[in-house]
Amino acid sequence: MTGADLALLLLILAGLALRGGGMLLAVRLRPDHPMVRWAASVALATLAAFVAASVLAPAGALAGIPFAARLAGLVSALAVLAWRGGLLAPLLAGLGVTLGLAAAL
Amino acid sequence: MIFRTACREALGAPALAMAATFLAFGAAVQAVGLGLGWALASALLVYGMPGQMVLVTAVATPGGALPAVLGAATANARFLPMAVALTPWLGKSKLRWLALPFIAVTPWAMAMRRLPGLPPEHRLGWFLGFGLTSWLVAGGATIIGHVIAPFLQAWMLAALLFVNPLYFALILAGETRAAPSRRAVIGGLCATPLVLLLPPAWALLAAGVVGGTLAFLWGQFLSGQSVSGQAIDRR
Repeated sequence: MTGADLALLLLILAGLALRGGGMLLAVRLRPDHPMVRWAASVALATLAAFVAASVLAPAGALAGIPFAARLAGLVSALAVLAWRGGLLAPLLAGLGVTLGLAAAL
Repeated sequence: MIFRTACREALGAPALAMAATFLAFGAAVQAVGLGLGWALASALLVYGMPGQMVLVTAVATPGGALPAVLGAATANARFLPMAVALTPWLGKSKLRWLALPFIAVTPWAMAMRRLPGLPPEHRLGWFLGFGLTSWLVAGGATIIGHVIAPFLQAWMLAALLFVNPLYFALILAGETRAAPSRRAVIGGLCATPLVLLLPPAWALLAAGVVGGTLAFLWGQFLSGQSVSGQAIDRR
């Protein structure tokens, strides 16, 4: 077993512990329990921070897309969402604007 | 049948977001010289993209894999609050444990929108259908990404990676109709500077905990409830 294999195995076990631990912790709680509402709040806030960081200052390959293209793509996706709802059309619109601007800039 | 309905729901925008992200992941694994088996095991058994990416980046540096496990696990630590928030919606049956491998951002985010509106007896079936479909899409996309990696240009990889934040932004925009979710999103946005300032492995979790906790306390303050006086329900 290589170092990469062992690292992967440990990460798999960590994920199992985190998911299983969360399920065990919540198994006797109602959906409106304060701990459940706190956990949902943390999970949503994490997601919001991830989206904001991905647009404002991404790392890795994503940084290859100019900021203006990322921002315009996000705004376009949200505008189409507000205009006609759904998820697929806003997603494709946002991606299209991002790619179009990235090519032009 | 609710299982099939959920499978169909997973095959729209959620599948596109999953496929794009895992395609990019499969390509990233191939780029650092690891095999398809490693890529597939990571995609399906870790099934948490930030941790996966932290690990695959670390294995590219000699001796970097094992020290990176802690960082990768921390990057995926959001599984814990997600599982806590989701489990009460899955009912009391022991079959709810089947949902464990499918707890990830996309199925979780959709479940938190859909499950409250479903009859209790349909909730677990919906989550299993949606989760299994998303999981299979992720696995298939990882295989394709690994195979086509040599043909992908940098801008294509970047575009694939941008699908995920776009998709989550749309999910969050839908969530903001409910006041507690709106507060959580605002809290997360306000805590984003932490992501930019702290070490990458745990910056996202720190922002989530700080932003989410402040949003929760804000809600408690508004509703006039005391957090400290409440114990875990042992019904």
